[in-house]
Amino acid sequence: MLEYSFSKPNSSRSPSLVTEDLRSFISKIYTVYSTNSASFMGLSSIGTASDGMQLCIFDLRRGQHEGQELDKILYFFPADLPFSTQLSVIGLSEGLITFTRIFSPEAACEVIEAERHSHVFYEAEPDIWMVMIVEKSKDSEAIWRIDALREVLKEIHSLFVMFHGSIRALLEREPGGGLTRAHLYPFIMDYLRACQKRSPLDKCCCGNAEVAVSDGLIWIYFLVGKKLQLPSFRDCLMERRSVQMLTVGREAAIEVQTLVRILESSAGNLPCFSLILFQDLLVSTTLSPEDTINLYKYAVLRLTPLALSSGAKSWSYLRKGNSSSHVSIGSTLLSTGSVSEQFYGSHDASPAGDNRYHVTRPLQHDKWFKGKDGFLITDIWGGDIGSLNVTTPTVWLHQTEERMYLCAYQYKSLTIILLIPLSSILNGDQGVSILKQQLLENASLKILKVEEKLSKGWGGENAYHVSGYRYLLVDGNRDISRASPPTKVTTLSKESLLALNRLREEVDAEKSRAKWDNPGREKDLEVCIRAKNNAWAVARITGGKELYMVLEKANETLLYASDAVEKFSNRYCSGTFSLD
Amino acid sequence: MIRNLSFEVKIQHNLKKCFYYDDGNKLLLSPTSNQVFSWKTAPFSPNAAPNIDSITEGPICSIRFSLDEKLIAVQRSNTSIIFFHRETGETFTHRCKSESESILGFFWTDCPSCDIVVVKTSGLDLYAYDHASKSLALVETKKMTVSWYVYTHESRLVLLASGMQCKTFHGFQLSSVGIIRLPKFEMVMAKPEANSKPVLASEDVYIVTVYGRIYCLQVDRVAMVLHSYRFYRDAIIQQGSLPIYSHKVAVSVVDNVLLVHQVDAKVIILYDIFSDSRAPISAPLPVLFRGFPRSDSFTSRPGTKESESLEASDSNDNEAIIYGEGWTFLVPDLICDVANMRLWKIHLDLEAISASSSEVPSVLEFLQRRKLEANKAKQLCLAITRTMILERRPINMVAKSMDVLVTSYALSLKAGSYFKGIKTERTSSSVPNVSGPGQGVDVNTGRTDGLGKSVQHESASRVNSVSVSRPSNYLSSETEDSSSFEPLKISSNDAQFDSGKVDTGAESSATGNPLNASVSEQQESQLTSPAISPDEMYRFVFAPAEEEMIGEPSYLVSIILEFFRSANLEKVKVHPNLYVLTVQLLARSEQYAELGLCVINKIIEPSKEVALQLLESGRQNFQIRKLGSDMLRQVSLHQDYVLLLVQDGYYLEALRYARKHKVTTIRPSLFLEAAMTSNDSQHLAAVLRFFSDFIPGFHSTSDFSTYYHILNEMNSSSVVA
Repeated sequence: MLEYSFSKPNSSRSPSLVTEDLRSFISKIYTVYSTNSASFMGLSSIGTASDGMQLCIFDLRRGQHEGQELDKILYFFPADLPFSTQLSVIGLSEGLITFTRIFSPEAACEVIEAERHSHVFYEAEPDIWMVMIVEKSKDSEAIWRIDALREVLKEIHSLFVMFHGSIRALLEREPGGGLTRAHLYPFIMDYLRACQKRSPLDKCCCGNAEVAVSDGLIWIYFLVGKKLQLPSFRDCLMERRSVQMLTVGREAAIEVQTLVRILESSAGNLPCFSLILFQDLLVSTTLSPEDTINLYKYAVLRLTPLALSSGAKSWSYLRKGNSSSHVSIGSTLLSTGSVSEQFYGSHDASPAGDNRYHVTRPLQHDKWFKGKDGFLITDIWGGDIGSLNVTTPTVWLHQTEERMYLCAYQYKSLTIILLIPLSSILNGDQGVSILKQQLLENASLKILKVEEKLSKGWGGENAYHVSGYRYLLVDGNRDISRASPPTKVTTLSKESLLALNRLREEVDAEKSRAKWDNPGREKDLEVCIRAKNNAWAVARITGGKELYMVLEKANETLLYASDAVEKFSNRYCSGTFSLD
Repeated sequence: MIRNLSFEVKIQHNLKKCFYYDDGNKLLLSPTSNQVFSWKTAPFSPNAAPNIDSITEGPICSIRFSLDEKLIAVQRSNTSIIFFHRETGETFTHRCKSESESILGFFWTDCPSCDIVVVKTSGLDLYAYDHASKSLALVETKKMTVSWYVYTHESRLVLLASGMQCKTFHGFQLSSVGIIRLPKFEMVMAKPEANSKPVLASEDVYIVTVYGRIYCLQVDRVAMVLHSYRFYRDAIIQQGSLPIYSHKVAVSVVDNVLLVHQVDAKVIILYDIFSDSRAPISAPLPVLFRGFPRSDSFTSRPGTKESESLEASDSNDNEAIIYGEGWTFLVPDLICDVANMRLWKIHLDLEAISASSSEVPSVLEFLQRRKLEANKAKQLCLAITRTMILERRPINMVAKSMDVLVTSYALSLKAGSYFKGIKTERTSSSVPNVSGPGQGVDVNTGRTDGLGKSVQHESASRVNSVSVSRPSNYLSSETEDSSSFEPLKISSNDAQFDSGKVDTGAESSATGNPLNASVSEQQESQLTSPAISPDEMYRFVFAPAEEEMIGEPSYLVSIILEFFRSANLEKVKVHPNLYVLTVQLLARSEQYAELGLCVINKIIEPSKEVALQLLESGRQNFQIRKLGSDMLRQVSLHQDYVLLLVQDGYYLEALRYARKHKVTTIRPSLFLEAAMTSNDSQHLAAVLRFFSDFIPGFHSTSDFSTYYHILNEMNSSSVVA
């Protein structure tokens, strides 16, 4: 039996009282459970040494016997917490899940709000849970939207699955769990680092990004330090699990689609998929929405010209620090010498501490380069970048449940990703290089043309800025979003952003309620609220499409604000949100 | 392959085999000692009877009718030309003034200032014909030494050779707008040895008119090339050279295609000098006689053509030897076989030409430029395109082909030639629609249309069939084919000659099956452009291809996209059915992501047809269905959109939308029923209230009472519960 260590804020109790405490708190859950988002004023968070965030992944099917509790831990951040603390965090989460399942077997709890912490739950795979615990500090910046946090968990998991397959499959491959842990630890660390860097809305982060790029150590300090950047209210005008698309004219669109056809036909009759990006925007995809989101995210993180150029700066540093990426975790971590990774190495019992597993780290920074032929190469999957003899990356597609080779080609601002089933290429990397050759022969001209067309029509970074408006448009049917450029969003006052953040929370709750009440039906919704600074925050939802908007200058009347939304809808959304 | 339709000129045996071609009036002239026989060659008609004019006896150097055909001018010697008035029989003679100069020749002109131009060794004399005094009045003289000259009426251009090697040229264009003097220019001649200087002969210089441009082609026997020069108003620019493979060459132009006869090799090399390309259209092709009244064994299968035609000619007293000694090439497209007294007109066998080249885009380009047999070219283009798709040729090649076809269509739209032909074309194309795509489209048309007409025009059919080649329906049977090649004979009624055997053959075949010929003649004469509209592309290419390629839509989608690309570039509108087909294909192969992009980026343009297809295809995919309903709204099909909303259970939204867009045609009971099935009394009440408020007199309808009753029941039951 695990021990839970609870402590109420204003009283300190001995651990022996835990059982009683749990009972009382369970009764409280019961009373407020119906909202799915319970708030437990009487419950304080686990007292741990770590401030900021905790993130854990555990498997409910494991470690159910006394003495084997450690088995269930698949990942824990920060890893330097004592196991007893880790176990108590996981134990609480497990308790909550088990308890809430009594009332709702299909969907256990989603979030627990304690006085000083929020616990965000996400069941990534059956019985495999990801839990994020964030501290509600007095810092006024630490305000977030729970759904945005859950999106982070979803993203981590789906990206992980794309590269390594499902966690369950890994556990089945090696029931000891070592393999899974060896994969999860570096992956999530790489992810957290990557996201931090690429979050443009984050002023604090942006300010230090340059420093971080030139000096890995400082960067790592950020990561382990308490200022780990989570999606905050300042990010309320963006949608994480969605794709940003380039708007193209008909002519360019036709060129793009014919290019897609040529690309996919150069693989012969093999069934393959492609993704085309211009700058950091998606132009075309033939993948399912789920796979598109994942690959798009990866491309923006690691493959697009912007991602590559940010890597190039620190190239020399990394070459010095890490000569080969394809090494077992332990040695990689030691050789990079970073603080964050050292604690895995120094952590005796950490499952990642041994050298038994060869783990690819696809999210690793600065590992992709543009080859002379225009194809992007990396030694993440093995091989030697110097001799250009590298192993072709592979990803696992959700849609076809198949492993695919990933070929990325870049010409100026255009990034093309081609995915070819492993099973259809018999002689491995050799076959892939033949295919690349064919691709160049067939499509080079077309690629040139498409790039030219798109560049001509490209309105620059602020292309989708609509003056007077700060907006976020989400097409939930197709997982596409578009928002005011981040630099424009930063001009909004904090009050406005907080208001919108609040509004979005409301909408999230409304949506999730509607999902339960009336599955499969879309609810139309319109909410306008007025912030302290007299700005309007507006949300309109119709037919699965969402529009969020902050109008700081429309401070006259609601009618005025509503009019502005109407205009926007007619002009930029072909009238989708113009209800009446 | 070239087909010569013969035009036999059989003349009494005692006649001298002496022919002149008057290209100004397109007359073939055969003077005897005191008569001139003249046959019209345009329109090319085998049964044309010659006109006979009497002239005085005397030597004849050259002979030409005036452009109004009232005068006959005969050059008697190098000093005199005699003129005969055809109606009155009056004559007068024009003589050289000076002893030192001699007349090289003359031609009539439609130049406003003069009527006849006499070319002399000392230059040009331009005369006006004075009707009153029946004499020539000198208008202008252009002084220069002239060794020889070439002139074609088609180009109105006279080139005057001078110099030691006769390679320095002066040129004048004497057109109806006036006289243009071209700058002096030199032709290029390779030297066989260091000191020898070959002299250019007049037979080695050809003036050709292609696509309205004037070129001069010059044979260089030393270098074995054909130099080409293009004439501009103010310049003559050498355009490059074509290789020749025979010491004797001749040049013809048929339907703007340049034919270089390699006489020794008995083949023709074809060039389409439209673009800058100097590459031949196809491999060298042989000449084949068609329209010989010989036997039914005379078939037209490509591949066997040459041997059979040769065999045929052997068995017939050397009647037709290809490139025989007596062949004279007349501009632009006639061949006079002096030995056999036949006149041949050159036809292009488009089918054989296109079959001899594997470069599909250039073949299509070639076919799209053909005007003479526009319908045939069009049918060939359709067939070639269809085949190309069915054979799954590389996308790049198909893309180029689409470009060719669409560009040509856009051009013909601009030029207005497409709609000129479309009227007659409509009637015929409606037939294949019934018979189903992919079938012998024109065979059907030919027969149905032909039956009626052949009865009426039986006698005329022989005439008609002359200029007609093989009908354009490549699917028709061989027997039909052979019969449609009619004997293209002219017999002059006055001159009796033996044509018995030949004639009978002609007769029988003419009555036997003249249908195809006459019909296609009519179609072709009306269809002026082989351009293919997007509508026809859909009906005759994509729809049949889709039927045959079932199961593998991906390739076809690629092709259709290429077509969209071409059409978009040329701003040509695409048939909505093609969009529908694209949606079907993409949905069938479950390429929903791509389908979504195509709709959102408007590659597939919104229309009701497309919207309905999206809804249909969206049964398997929610997102696609959504796109369909969005499109309905987008194209303002309010009623359909409201119905769809009600069907999907969004009756409140439907009401709101209906109110906004004033959709009043949908029965209230639909909404009420939807509200009732949702089992929500509030909603039902709301819907009832809506109709009570907005439809006058709704209270008294049965709908109202029925649902009011239901609402009351719902409320009472809920109270009880």
